[in-house]
Amino acid sequence: MCGIIGYSGYRDAKNVLIDCLKRLEYRGYDSAGIGVLENELQIFKEVGEIKNLEKVVDNVKGTIGIGHTRWATHGKVSKENAHPQIGCNNKIALVHNGIIENFKTLKEELEKKGHTFISQTDTEVIAHLIEDEYKNSIEEAVPSALKKIKGSYAITVVCLDEPDKIIGARKDSPMVIGVGDNENFIASDIPALLKYTNRVIFLNDGELCVITNSSIKIIDENNNEISRDEELINWDFKDAEKSGFPHFMLKEIYEQPDAINHTLTGRLSEIEQSVSFHDTVEKLLGEEVESITIVACGTSYYAGMVGKYLIENITNLPVFVDIASEYRYFGTRNKSSLVIGITQSGETADTLAALKESKKSGCKTIVISNVIGSTATRLADGYILMQSGPEIGVAASKTFTAQIIVLFLIALKIASIKNTIGSDEIYKYILKLKELPRQIKEVLERSYKISEIAQIIKDANTVFFIGRGLNYPLSLEGALKLKEISYIHAEGFAAGELKHGPFALLTEKTPVVALVTKDSTYDKIIANIGEIKARGPKVIAIAEDKDTEIEKHADFVLRFPSNSQISSSISISVILQLLAYHVARIRECPIDKPRNLAKSVTVE
Amino acid sequence: MKCVILAAGEGKRMHPLTFTRPKVMLPIANRPLIELNLLNAIDAGLKDFIFIISYKSEMVRKYFGNGEKWNVKIDYINQGKPLGTGHAIGIVEKFVDDFIVLCGDTIFGKDDINKIIQNKTSMGLVEVENPQEYGIVETSENKVIKIYEKMDSPFSNTINAGIYHFNNKIFDYIKKTEKSSRGEYEITDSINMLVNEENFNIIMLNNWRDVVYPWHLLDANKEVLSQIDKNLEGLIDQNVTIKGNAMVGKNSKILSNSYIEGPVVIGENCKIGPNCYIRPYTSIGNNCHIGNACEVKNSIIMDSSNVPHQNYVGDSVIGYNCNLGAGTKIANLRLDKKNIVVVLNGNKIETKRRKLGTLIGDNVQTGINSMLNVGSIIGNDVFIGPGAHASGEIKPKAKIL
Amino acid sequence: MFIKAVILAAGEGKRLRPFTETMPKVMIPVANKPILEYVLDSVKNSGINEIIAVVGYKKEVIMEYFKDYSDLEIKYVLQDKQLGTAHALLQTEKYIDDTFIVLSGDNIIDQISISKLIKDKNNFSMLIKENPQPSKYGVVFFEKNLLQEIVEKPKEEVGRFISTGIYKLQNSIFDNIKEFASQGIFDISSVIQSIIEKGDNINTTAANLWMDIVYPWDLIQVNESIIRNNSGSLSGVIEKGVTLKGPVKVGNNTSIYSGSYIVGPVVIGEGCEIGPNACIFPATTIGNNSVIRPFSEIRNTVIMNDVHIGSNSFISHSVIAHGNIIGHNFSSMSGQATMEIDGEYKKLETIGTMIGENCTIEGSVIVEPGITIGRKCKIGSINKIIRNIPSQSKVM
Repeated sequence: MCGIIGYSGYRDAKNVLIDCLKRLEYRGYDSAGIGVLENELQIFKEVGEIKNLEKVVDNVKGTIGIGHTRWATHGKVSKENAHPQIGCNNKIALVHNGIIENFKTLKEELEKKGHTFISQTDTEVIAHLIEDEYKNSIEEAVPSALKKIKGSYAITVVCLDEPDKIIGARKDSPMVIGVGDNENFIASDIPALLKYTNRVIFLNDGELCVITNSSIKIIDENNNEISRDEELINWDFKDAEKSGFPHFMLKEIYEQPDAINHTLTGRLSEIEQSVSFHDTVEKLLGEEVESITIVACGTSYYAGMVGKYLIENITNLPVFVDIASEYRYFGTRNKSSLVIGITQSGETADTLAALKESKKSGCKTIVISNVIGSTATRLADGYILMQSGPEIGVAASKTFTAQIIVLFLIALKIASIKNTIGSDEIYKYILKLKELPRQIKEVLERSYKISEIAQIIKDANTVFFIGRGLNYPLSLEGALKLKEISYIHAEGFAAGELKHGPFALLTEKTPVVALVTKDSTYDKIIANIGEIKARGPKVIAIAEDKDTEIEKHADFVLRFPSNSQISSSISISVILQLLAYHVARIRECPIDKPRNLAKSVTVE
Repeated sequence: MKCVILAAGEGKRMHPLTFTRPKVMLPIANRPLIELNLLNAIDAGLKDFIFIISYKSEMVRKYFGNGEKWNVKIDYINQGKPLGTGHAIGIVEKFVDDFIVLCGDTIFGKDDINKIIQNKTSMGLVEVENPQEYGIVETSENKVIKIYEKMDSPFSNTINAGIYHFNNKIFDYIKKTEKSSRGEYEITDSINMLVNEENFNIIMLNNWRDVVYPWHLLDANKEVLSQIDKNLEGLIDQNVTIKGNAMVGKNSKILSNSYIEGPVVIGENCKIGPNCYIRPYTSIGNNCHIGNACEVKNSIIMDSSNVPHQNYVGDSVIGYNCNLGAGTKIANLRLDKKNIVVVLNGNKIETKRRKLGTLIGDNVQTGINSMLNVGSIIGNDVFIGPGAHASGEIKPKAKIL
Repeated sequence: MFIKAVILAAGEGKRLRPFTETMPKVMIPVANKPILEYVLDSVKNSGINEIIAVVGYKKEVIMEYFKDYSDLEIKYVLQDKQLGTAHALLQTEKYIDDTFIVLSGDNIIDQISISKLIKDKNNFSMLIKENPQPSKYGVVFFEKNLLQEIVEKPKEEVGRFISTGIYKLQNSIFDNIKEFASQGIFDISSVIQSIIEKGDNINTTAANLWMDIVYPWDLIQVNESIIRNNSGSLSGVIEKGVTLKGPVKVGNNTSIYSGSYIVGPVVIGEGCEIGPNACIFPATTIGNNSVIRPFSEIRNTVIMNDVHIGSNSFISHSVIAHGNIIGHNFSSMSGQATMEIDGEYKKLETIGTMIGENCTIEGSVIVEPGITIGRKCKIGSINKIIRNIPSQSKVM
């Protein structure tokens, strides 16, 4: 949430700032702004996407400046509330990512001293606070001001009276320093910088940095100057293009057959009938544990729930799945439980917090992530990369299915280590996994059918999704997808739960999507469908090709080819993604950047 | 006067040696290619350098730092995306006035550099035997008329040597230069514009060497080693024979019955011998181990690599951190004695060499008694198993068992 | 000179069924690269960096594959109805403001040819090729290198040179195209003819490497032509006791298990498992993530991605599309046969089986020479297939 950038060097700052901000846009995109030092403080801000900002930026030649792309937390979206925020005398400007908890009190005190405020943001308070503390050293004014603040921040500050410096400081919000040649950078995350440099220095909480075009100074919380080594970043964050697809999300949905192959690459051998991971991970999976705890948020949490069914099914390990933001509040942190954190970006604040908690309790941790070098992968004892490639669409699609597959691979590995299923069985599962890409291609070919069904639910007030067993978490995910991008309210339920209350909501205007697989849950879910139809709603069943009975029960059927539990769950996921996509498309929603959402939630 | 050295290139034709290092950092007689130019430029009187870097820039920075080891000032500018020579030179506009530019991956002699320094707006030209590989320059009365792109039937043997003396007017022309048919901004196009309005002199060079493919490093290595003096630091046992010029670095141990025929350079902290035979034109890096019953000839072995027991290495380049298992041998001559053809990046290339061993990348391990065939290319992190044969092009991370 | 390239990739390629039932003709792989990729590579290597692709049939397959293509931005233009080459070209009008080249995405062309075309000084220019069977294409008649006439598919033996369909044109041609379009004429030859009639010269230059793939079995021959000049390169894991002869290319993460005998030219993709004791003979290409189980012999065959060949199988002179799962003891007999495509009958000397995508063939199935099995078929065990199997059928 919010992307910040600072640059001091020899290039035209405005070009560098806007270029880097474009790479940060996924962090927040309701407004943006830059401030460049050139004789005066030149500030440019605009509502909406970076391309709107570009139109209002003049031809300034300064080579030092700061920039911001906003995901609003305090204060509505407006030009005044966009950053950079400045002090009264137009000399100090700053950009901020985070939340100041005591800003109201501070604002009142400053107003009493004569400061006038223009915006409703908490950020403006920091600017005035620094201005208030300023005697003749910005390096001293900033930490003095920060001492008075309660909350989280990653800020970059420039001061007209010391026009060669940029001050950066962080606490509970991410910040990295990019080390260049005759130029230096400060940014919220690494992808912003990769075009210009692959050398970074990570700033830790409570630290301050002072950068000029030729020097970097890091000061710790006790005011001592410290030195820290650079790290070399090896990844290649190619600017993903939509390449002809109307939306990134659609492109990413269609990428799934390939992405699945990538997730499996190097991990399966048919001939050797085995699943293999990196040595560190294999060792962790081989340890004697009594249970597994999965911590995650949102879509990843639902993937975790699917993982629970898959792992418990073939190993005899109990699996607990906890919402990461809740994990810190309850007690039992058994150190003989292997903790698996799932976070696509590797930066999700809630999940990181849960991982830190579990490490404190002595648990071993593995992280499933898509971003190499992310905080989570550096925090955990071992990590498994999804290898899905960057996901730009804010609503997760290919990373959800990749997470399920990785969890299944973990299940197979543990099962083979503990010998809970024979190698014959493992071999059969491996074959099924290898068939997945072609089955998903098949599902994607049927997209036009899904588009027809989307017409039926496009005007609904609420849509219910129901499933049993493994399909229950999928129903939760289906509802989430629909909510996220089409703005229609939706809820997922364990099919057996509907009658314990939610039935009261059923009318003709509340279509129900039922996930139906021909397994031990089949008879009961058919019965549930009957109960639902009796109360009015139209029922759309997502069912297997080989299910010949379902037409008798449901009003509409979306079919998928299936030969195993794992392939059903992936196929159903893809259909749910396409369903949400088509509904959103018909309703003309901004699919890649849904209102109020950000790709990687780094606040708690 | 500043000296700008272009050091941003990857050097794809130097694979596998350039997967982890930029071309300018490839070692010749234990010094990176670019250092040879640096030393010659310092001898010619230059003290203020700007290196334009990009690919694996950290290696260049780590080795050269701010230049104090050579008593000069070295500054760095990151080119970012490789958009061409014109783009690279254009970036330094704010930092230079009257300046020299030279390509870091071509070796220039100090006298030639001096000539270029003396001539305010000029470029170096050289005559070669294979002008069709380079851009020809048409001249008249010692001035440049036009620089041509590579052509199939060149009308002259005089090519662009890659060394220039500019003043800051060149930047106006660079800004007007459009992308070439290669999709890059070429300094030669900018010069072609400049010569329409101003004079640009030519200097014929005497000492010029280009390295394009990995085996060219062996030629350069031979030429540079032919000029070294004897300098023996380190600990040399009795019963060690050293003939000709050899350089042995600090803390290196040469054990009994080692037979070294110079010119040979051995780095620091090495363990050489006992009972090994090191023949002329061999460069051995730092922290290497050449062990008992090994023979090394006309080869380059980079830092931290081991040729430890009963090996033969001839006419080869071995990268960083490699380990040859006991008995591993490299073949360097075809049985039919024909010239050796190498497959590099999928292309068949005539090396025109009768003898060529193996070109090995970094972190390669071979098992005991493995056999590496003539002209084979072994990528980084490859594992060649015990008793295995390796032939042709072996891509990184492969395992040949 | 800032020349753009227009690549026509909207067509289905009906004569290449069953392979084109799930992908457009331009995406059919030769030596593990879609035909279109060869075209794009040649265009890119000749210095052009702006490409406009006209797509239509199954366009997502193209857009998905090329999304990360080498820093080049490809603009996609939709041709809703496949009315003809001139009509396809017309869709790109707003992107072209000067000289441009137009070529079809379904013919393999090399960079030397494209460079020749670009360097040609004439405003209008085209590539021609000497072809032993001129009656299949537009035969060109030229004098002193200037085009006189193109005769489409002539019945008699006339000239030796044919049009490759690759032209260098000026944007003035769009007016000519619109004129003909208003008369319901959408083919490019008529438009080209009109340029000559209006007084402009069209220079003809001989193309270097140019290959057309018309029928499914052409894939086998074109595959061989492409990989014939390969050099080998090895990646993945090559176990002890594997014999490799000639140029063999093995991709990343592929394992070749002991006892396998591979004679090049052979190309094996990434993530495959071959053997133990599998035999692969020239000129064969195997796609990514495919598995060839022990004691199988594959010869002169194109196998695409995600294919599973069971043990003890014999496959020769065949094309097996993506996703096929074939059980053990499969035999595709190869020999003389007459195959029927789109109403035409072709006699072939040595031909095996053409199998469309995603079929499941159980153990011990034998297929006579020259059979086409459609996509998504299911064939039960112990069956002898003696006639073509249409897509989505079952043989029990």
